[in-house]
Amino acid sequence: MKHFKKNLRVLRELFYLRFHGLTVFRLDFFGPFFVDGSLFVMQLLAFGVIYSNVDTIGGWHQGEMILYIGTFSLLNAINMTLYFFGVNGIPYKVRSGELDLYLTKPVSPLFRLSFENISPGSVPLIMMSICIIAYGVHRMEAQLDAVRILEYLFWVIIMAILYYDMEVVIRSFSLYVLSMARMEQIEEAGIDLCMKLPGIAFYGVYKFIFYLLLPYGIMATLPVQSMIGDMDCMLAVYGIFVVGLFSALAHLMWKQGLKRYNSASS
Amino acid sequence: MGKYWAVSKTYMKTQLVWRADVLFNMIFTVSKILFAYLLWGIIFQGRETIGGFTFHGMLSYYIISSFLLQIEKSEGISNEIHDRIRNGTFSKYMVIPVGIQKYFMAMELGVVLFYLLFDLIAAVIWILIFHIRFVFTDSLAVVGCAALMAAAGMIFMVQLNYYLGLLTLKYQGINTFLMIKNNLLALIMGSIVPLTLFPEAVINMMKALPFYYVVYLPSMLLSGKCQEEAVRGLFVIIAWCVAMQLVIYVTWNQYIRKYDGVGI
Repeated sequence: MKHFKKNLRVLRELFYLRFHGLTVFRLDFFGPFFVDGSLFVMQLLAFGVIYSNVDTIGGWHQGEMILYIGTFSLLNAINMTLYFFGVNGIPYKVRSGELDLYLTKPVSPLFRLSFENISPGSVPLIMMSICIIAYGVHRMEAQLDAVRILEYLFWVIIMAILYYDMEVVIRSFSLYVLSMARMEQIEEAGIDLCMKLPGIAFYGVYKFIFYLLLPYGIMATLPVQSMIGDMDCMLAVYGIFVVGLFSALAHLMWKQGLKRYNSASS
Repeated sequence: MGKYWAVSKTYMKTQLVWRADVLFNMIFTVSKILFAYLLWGIIFQGRETIGGFTFHGMLSYYIISSFLLQIEKSEGISNEIHDRIRNGTFSKYMVIPVGIQKYFMAMELGVVLFYLLFDLIAAVIWILIFHIRFVFTDSLAVVGCAALMAAAGMIFMVQLNYYLGLLTLKYQGINTFLMIKNNLLALIMGSIVPLTLFPEAVINMMKALPFYYVVYLPSMLLSGKCQEEAVRGLFVIIAWCVAMQLVIYVTWNQYIRKYDGVGI
């Protein structure tokens, strides 16, 4: 409890520092919102065009697809707001030796690295995602009760954890190898594909890849399936298992990687 | 002309330094094909045609458009100009005895010529791996027209990115705008979904814009569609190139005086 309170205090200070830094470059403040917002708007338009030619995609009507896009947008917004800009800087800090400064401070290095670059300018992206989700639910004409909504929120939270774990796993490679460019390319390609394509489209080897090896395919799919009542017990257990697996992997890779860290010569 | 060809050759050789990048660029072209294969695979279940495309016709469109997008690498020009104006090193281009825009054109040519072969190989590999019954026009005239249109489209994109880079002289930071532009172009160039699926009024509006002729129309022509638009399309994109050149001329003369060579 004491440790948790200390981390909360650190988080608050990091937020103030970051907010102060961002307001120096005011034009860039809402940059992430405009960039990612436009990305998801284009995606909504693209699927709007497809649905003007077909009724369903893999059994999903337009409402479900809008909900999917909104959910991915929400996960991305949480990622951008809370930890993306922090975790993304890990490879540079390892290469330059700047990680030394984090290891010598009396707070968890990964915690500080993850949350030192919180982006308040991305908060409107969360609002926009909620609007897309509400529109999707409206189009589905679904009757939602509190249990369904809570289930959905539960899956969004644990998938946000999975998103974080995936980012840490990929950036932790910088503690083992010299160049991270390929790993980041794989991440970018995986996210780009799964952002546009719900998990229901995967089968065979593609399902193995995007449900287990690079589980971007389940990130927005499981919350949507829980909302539309398409999730069975096995799928729920599987989802929790994958999140647990990648949390353990992220922890292990980071801890073991730190042992290999030799300051600027890494 | 010789000095610009030397620039092109230098950039061709430069690509060889990053051999792993070339290989991975080839491999990652699969993501667009995989997207199309899985998405349209599930959509075409129980359907013969959508928007005039068969399943294999649709995949052929994505193979060709992905190939064209892959060799169109002018995006880096606006970023290069933006960064160099901001840190004051744009002077590098002002002191060498070349026209700056022509230098970037030559650079783009070098990169395109280098990647042309590798991206062609990648396209053939994906056709074989995904068992695509590749649909391609049998008219040589259409192939020629599409090739000219794609070349003019690439020149237009170089001009556009050069122009956007120059806007840094006035607006100082245009990074966010450049990223939004990329998101917008992905849709209106037809790389996410073929524009033929859009409502007719939207298509007619897009025909007045240059982006319709950069990737979408050449891809449609090469996959045997929209052949009646070939000649008109070629003239439209050439007209846009001329118009863009005028805009660049005015912008350069207006804003270059703001450059002080010390960064922002």
